[in-house]
This record gives sequence, C-alpha cells and structure tokens, in this order.
Amino acid sequence: MPARGLGRRSSPITLVLLVVLLIGFFLFFFSSPNDAASKLRDSTHTASNALSPPSLPFRKAKANERPPPPPVVHYHMNNVTTSRNPVENQETVLILTPLARFYQEYWDNLLSLSYPHELISLGFILPKTKEGNAATAALQAQIAKTQSGSQKKRFASITILRQDTESPLITQNEAERHKIENQKARRSAMAKARNSLLFTTMGPTTSWVLWLDGDIIETPESLIQDLAAHDKPIIAPNCFQRYYDDEKKEKAVRAYDFNNWVDSPTAKEMGARMGNDDILLEGYASMPTYRSLMAMMHDESQDPNIEVQLDGVGGATLLVKAEVHRDGAMFPPFAFYHLIETEGFAKMASRLGWKAWGLPNYLVYHYNE
Amino acid sequence: MLPLHASPRGKMHRHAYPNGHTALPMGGSGTFEIQPHKFQPRSHASTRRRRSNIIKAIGAATAVLVILYFVFPSLITGAIPVLSFGLLAGSEDFQLETVRYYDLNNVQGTARGWEREERILLCAPLRDAAPHLPMFFSHLRNLTYPHNLIDLAFLVGDSKDNTLQLLNDLLVDVQKNEDPKQQFGEISILNKDFGQKVNQDVESRHGFAAQAGRRKSMAQARNWLLSAALRPTHSWVYWRDVDVETAPFTILEDLMRHNKDVIVPNVWRPLPDWLGGEQPYDLNSWQESETALALAETLDEDAVIVEGYAEYATWRPHLAYLRDPYGDPDMEMEIDGVGGVSILAKAKVFRSGVHFPAFSFEKHAETEGFGKMAKRMKFSVVGLPHYTIWHLYEPSVDDRRHMEEMENERKAKEAEEKAKKERLDKIHDQFENPSGQWDDDKTNIRDMAKQEIVKEVSGEESEKKPEKKPEQPTEKQAEKKPEEQAEKNPAKKAEEEPANEAEKKVDEHTEKHQEKLSEKEPADEAKTEKTKEIKAKIVDPFDEIPVIGKKDAAPES
Repeated sequence: MPARGLGRRSSPITLVLLVVLLIGFFLFFFSSPNDAASKLRDSTHTASNALSPPSLPFRKAKANERPPPPPVVHYHMNNVTTSRNPVENQETVLILTPLARFYQEYWDNLLSLSYPHELISLGFILPKTKEGNAATAALQAQIAKTQSGSQKKRFASITILRQDTESPLITQNEAERHKIENQKARRSAMAKARNSLLFTTMGPTTSWVLWLDGDIIETPESLIQDLAAHDKPIIAPNCFQRYYDDEKKEKAVRAYDFNNWVDSPTAKEMGARMGNDDILLEGYASMPTYRSLMAMMHDESQDPNIEVQLDGVGGATLLVKAEVHRDGAMFPPFAFYHLIETEGFAKMASRLGWKAWGLPNYLVYHYNE
Repeated sequence: MLPLHASPRGKMHRHAYPNGHTALPMGGSGTFEIQPHKFQPRSHASTRRRRSNIIKAIGAATAVLVILYFVFPSLITGAIPVLSFGLLAGSEDFQLETVRYYDLNNVQGTARGWEREERILLCAPLRDAAPHLPMFFSHLRNLTYPHNLIDLAFLVGDSKDNTLQLLNDLLVDVQKNEDPKQQFGEISILNKDFGQKVNQDVESRHGFAAQAGRRKSMAQARNWLLSAALRPTHSWVYWRDVDVETAPFTILEDLMRHNKDVIVPNVWRPLPDWLGGEQPYDLNSWQESETALALAETLDEDAVIVEGYAEYATWRPHLAYLRDPYGDPDMEMEIDGVGGVSILAKAKVFRSGVHFPAFSFEKHAETEGFGKMAKRMKFSVVGLPHYTIWHLYEPSVDDRRHMEEMENERKAKEAEEKAKKERLDKIHDQFENPSGQWDDDKTNIRDMAKQEIVKEVSGEESEKKPEKKPEQPTEKQAEKKPEEQAEKNPAKKAEEEPANEAEKKVDEHTEKHQEKLSEKEPADEAKTEKTKEIKAKIVDPFDEIPVIGKKDAAPES
C-alpha cells in the first residue's frame, strides 16, 4: 500500500501518486462549488421557495420540517440582456404556447431546438374544455417523460395554466374557426389567453419571449439563435404549410399566416371610416385591404436573412424581447386602432417605440389538418 | 435508482483523475504490481525503466487532465457530480420542482378573499424613497389581511439615496419575525434604472409640458414591476404609494368587500392651517365629461390630458371633491380615470392585459390611462368618495415658495412697522405738538366771536345801515371780503403795499390774515347771507397773497 511504501522508503512512484491524489482532492474540493456555480441550475437559477417566478425551478421543501419564511430576493434587471448572441450571454428564453390541441410533432420539434434547454422555460395555457382536458393530459404525459429523461433535454421550468375562455367556441374546426363573424370574439378571447399566459409566467430573469403556436410543427433547430441574431425587438419568420399538391402530384408548401403585413393607405382609410369598436381583418375577400403581406413576399431563391419592417404581426412564431412586453405591449382584446390580438400588439409596440420585423424567406411550418 | 447514477459509471475511466476517486480502481492494480517487496532479483535497469515509464505515463495523464480541465471545464463539470457526488447531486436534482400547474379559475378574486386564502400582490414603485420607508413598513405591519397571503414587490430605480439598502434591511427584519403570521409571502426587489429622462429641476418637473413625459416613464416603471412580479397564484393586485401617511389597517378587506374589478379610495392630505387644514390630493380619479371627450377629439395622437392643470379645463367630476367627512364610506362612484396612490384591482384585470399605458391611450397615460383601458375592456372601475386615506403633506415647490413669500411678507411688515414706530418717536421727540396751541387759539377765537356777537346784537340797530353801505363798493371790487374790508380797508391797504415790496413782511401778513380768517367763522354763524362765497375763497390763506398782489397791481395799471 502506498502509505506503507512511503514509510519504508520514499518511492518516487508513491510520491507521484500522493501528488496526483492531492491534486485530485484539491480539484475536487475547490472546483466543485465553482462548477456548480457555472452550472445553470444553481442558486441564481433556482428558487429556494415555492413562491417564486414560474420561470425558475424551485427546491421542494422537505416534508417533515416547517418551511422557512420566503427570502428577500433581489433581481438585477439592469443585467438582463437581449443580444445577438443569446447563448453566449446565457439569456433565458420563455416559450409561450396557447394550446388547444396537442400535436406530438409540436413537442418533438420543441425538443429538437438546439438552444440550451436549461435556458428555456415553457408556458402553456389551455382552455377548460373537453378538448383542453385531453390536450392537457397529453401534454403532461410528454412533460413527465422529458423532465425525467436525459438531463440535456430537460427544460428549466414548465408552467401549465388552465382557464375558462370567455367565449368558448364549441369547435376548433378550421372552417368554423375562420368564419369572419367569429373572428372578433375568437381573437379577443385568444388575446386574453395570451396576456394571461404572458403576464403570469414572465419572470424578472426572462430575456426573450418566443411565441410558438401549438400547431407549428416544424422549425429550424436553431430557430431561437437565428431570430435573435437579427437583434430586433419583435421578429417573425414566415409561416407556411406543407401540403400535397393534387395537381402536380407532389409535396409542396403554401403560405399560411396572413397576419404579417405592411400597412396600406386603403386599410388606413377603411379604418378611419370604421366605428370605434370595429376591426380590420386580413385574409378575407369581403374586406380587401391591399396590405403587403409577408406571406406573399416569400422567394425561395433569396437570402433567408432578408428583413422587412412590418406593421402587423401574426402570433404563429414570434420572437419578442422581454422589455417590449415589460413596457406594456400586450395583445389588445379590444379594437386598438381597429386591430386586435397580435396585429394590435404590433401597433401597441410601435406606439411604445418598438418596431416589428419579418423574415419573408425564413420558414416555419404549420400543421395541416 | 435514478438513471443518472447508472449512466455515468460508463464514463468513469475517461475523466477519472481530477477528483481522485477513481485512482484506486484504475491505477490500483498498477500500484500493487510495482510494489518492491517481491522476491525477485532486482534489475536496476529494468525497474528504473519501468518506474520512469510509469512516472512519465502518470505525469502525462495528469498534464492532459489539467489541460483538459482548463480548456473544457464543462467536460469535467459534467463528470464531477457523476463521480463524486453522484448520489447527493442526484437526490438534490430530484428535489427540484420544474413543473407547475395552475387553474386560473381559482384566482378570479372574490369579496371575501381572506377566507378563501386569496393571494395579494402588493406593488410599490420606489425612487429616492428612503425617508418614507419606515412609515410604509409600519403600515405593512399593521395590515390586518393575513400577511402570508401578501406578496411584496418593489421596483427600485434611479435612486440616489440608500433606498435599496434600507428596503432590504427592513424586509429582512420583517421576515425574521418569529410569528409566522407576521411573515410575508414572496418578496422581490427589482432593480432597474430607466435613466433620467426628465430634468429634475423645479420648472421642468412641475411644468405642464413635462408632465406627460413624467407620467409615461412612471407608467413604464409600473409595467416592469407588474410584469415581473405577477404570478398565476395572485387573485388581487394592490398598488400603494409609500408616502401614504394615514390609512385604515383594514384597507385591503374594506376595498375587497366591494368586489369590484378596480377600486380606489379617496385620497386627501392634511395641510398647515394657513392652507386651510386639508385638501383633496389625488385628482386623477374622475368621471369622464363631455367637455373632456370633445377636447380629446381635438388633440393629436400623442397628446396626454393631465388632470389638475389649468391648460386643459375638462370639467370632470373629481372623486376627491365629492368627499363628505360624514358620508357613507361604502358609497361607490363609477369613475373613468384612476389615481395611483392606492389601487386595489383583481389580478384578472392585469392578466387580461390592462396595464399603465406608457403612451397616449385615448389621450391619457399611466394610471388615468389604466382606468380608461380597464373601462375599455368592460371592467368595473369604482371610487369611494367618502372612504379617505391621507397622503403625506410635503410642501410642494409652490407651497415652499408661498411659505417663503409669506415669511418674507411677514418680515417686511415687521420691518415696516418698526420703521414707522421709530419715525413717529423721532417726530415726537424733535417737534412740539402744536395741537394744544391750536385748541387754545380756537377757544380764544370763539370767545372773542361771542363777545362780538353780543356787541352786534346790542348795537344792531345803530350799525345796520353803515354796514350795508360800504358793502356795495366792495362787491364791485369782487372777491374782497366785504365785512372786514368795510372796516379795515384803509388799514389793510396800508399793510398790503409794503408786503408786496418786501417779502419779509409776508409772514406777518399771513399771520394777520389768518387771524382775520378765523375771525370770520363766528361771524358767519351770525350772518349767513354770503358765507358760501366767502368760505370758498378763504380755504388757504396762502392763496390770498398772490391774488391780493395781483389785484393791487391790476387797478393801478
């Protein structure tokens, strides 16, 4: 044994071993706390109390002891950055999804995002309907699987909210949902759901908010990094849909989300003639606005990094700097300059001095029913 | 067992050394192999070679690991919990709760929230508020709503004093309280500087033009605070200024009982006596008026109507002015604009998106815009005109100026009075008061006049005719005093001529003249016929002198 060997005569080997052991112990004792600190799930990214921002995981209280009083927590919001290199700066992203139906492809796509998952918090809001219950059950099953699975795939925290919608639409069928008379009520309820989700889950440490609808089933893996690299307050990729073209007998893509647009004089004029509570809607033949739609600007041959300034945005996929929301830009559930929900959001943000941008050649894909 | 424990074991041999734990399993056999006490002939060369080889190998491995450690710290960080604290770290990780589930239907807010254990988020934006904090914390301690159901959130920004430190100390102190009922819920202090957008000098801060910008940045601070502190567990949000001096301990329950979406009490402030004792403070709680709506139509998109300034006369009924000290404190009034001193709102109002517009929303910003937006979303917004809380009185810049003015005025008045008194004393000392002499003269003259009257009455009949006769020529001369001139004309003329020549004699003349005039008063009493003419002429004896001179000169030329 080394000790005896050392006693008998100081063999160089034993000495070396001793040194190695010592180095090992030193490394162990001194490095482990530092390593823990550099690790994300440490004290600054973990709350010690259940009463904490939902964007942070917290340590469960031990069952047999009385919980200590909640601590006084300081959040240095001056240090919360939103930069071109969010990974490098360890910026946290909150992915928010109003969910009506759960699609496995959505979850798989979410898991495949290459942004470090320990920097991602998820927030969901689901209606308290039969359909919502089913979606919740499916979602919870997937969450349980992911959060107990590989460390790398686990998300920092997940919040699930349930809420009665004020105007519960019986069906979420594509056709029914898009009827023009249903749109205002539907989008007003949707706006309220988005706001509820946003204002209760956004914590003091959140840097970015990514709005990702539950029916977005395919995005580039580096979606967050790509969008953040543009360093815009609000940025939306183009939302398309894959389908099977019966005429050409091949798979093809077509534009899906028409809420990303640049305003037109016609639309402004129409707005001026409208009543205070009326809204302008995009994509309806009975209401031609002649706005320039980003969906129509798509050109496969062009650079995907081309930027277009927008006046209205859709919520399918939308990366927003948290400070835009913090300043008060929300999704108006009422007619705000004759705009509602995400389109009204872009308008409200611009009233606060934040401009919205779109990437016509950077695509994400919507589920095809 | 966790999968975590099993998986890392495979990695064991890769990153073993830094923590030394694997030294035994890995290098162990090697160690025993080279133990020297074996009965083997020692080949010096071979053992040395072997030894040096081993030393080299170990050294190289150590070097590689050290380099690896510095180049890729994450590699080893990954291994460390696995190798060393595998079990402990794993169990800790297991304790980490990452998934939360909330039903927002349970946090809609009801009239009797304390019974249903509804949580309240208490928000207070702070800036250079250190002097008010102790008072604010005494209010907090006195609140009767269960403290463990109250979450506190503060936003400290652009503060130049020790607000942050003091706040922290006071909060830590509160949480140290042994009684768990005195401990508050979640406590967050948000530190965010927005940068000084508005100059802090007197004029720019209180000028009307600066108000809109000031209100907008206040709104921004409120929104940051709320968006970072609102949780899915909150049923209510209470906004409270730290400089409230007096408020009922039961204010949360009192306001909650009304079960309104947004509710504010009346806010007044006590004043020093010279300002009337008390005054409405918060003029931002009002009901919309036709005038104001018409005015709003005329303003441009970014204009902000700020209540309480003369620039925009809105004729709105203000909550503050409707207060009756003996009125029913439960009386409600529908309002449109809301003041920010003390607002209790259901959390669902904020969840659905109502906030403090930092832009011109329907021509209003901040709390007034909040009220407008809440109304726009069909929430009930109510004020209690007879339920009053009292804001701290701090003399405003205007008041300070006024107080200074009053002080200056008082001092000026005092100085003036003093100077007056001194002057009077001086006059008193330096000059004799001739009023006694005057009185004496008057009585003498009166006596003389009486005697004359007595004489006249006695010799009335004999003197009547000669008196009337000389009267006519004197009237022709005009402006000459008839009675006396009739008697003294010859003597007067003799006197007047030298007076004209020698100015020295003027004094004597006036004296005499005066005597003549005073003699006339009693004479008038007796003879009322021509008194008017005479009186008008003899007002000032000095007037007489040049007139006399002229008159004398005129007939001669």
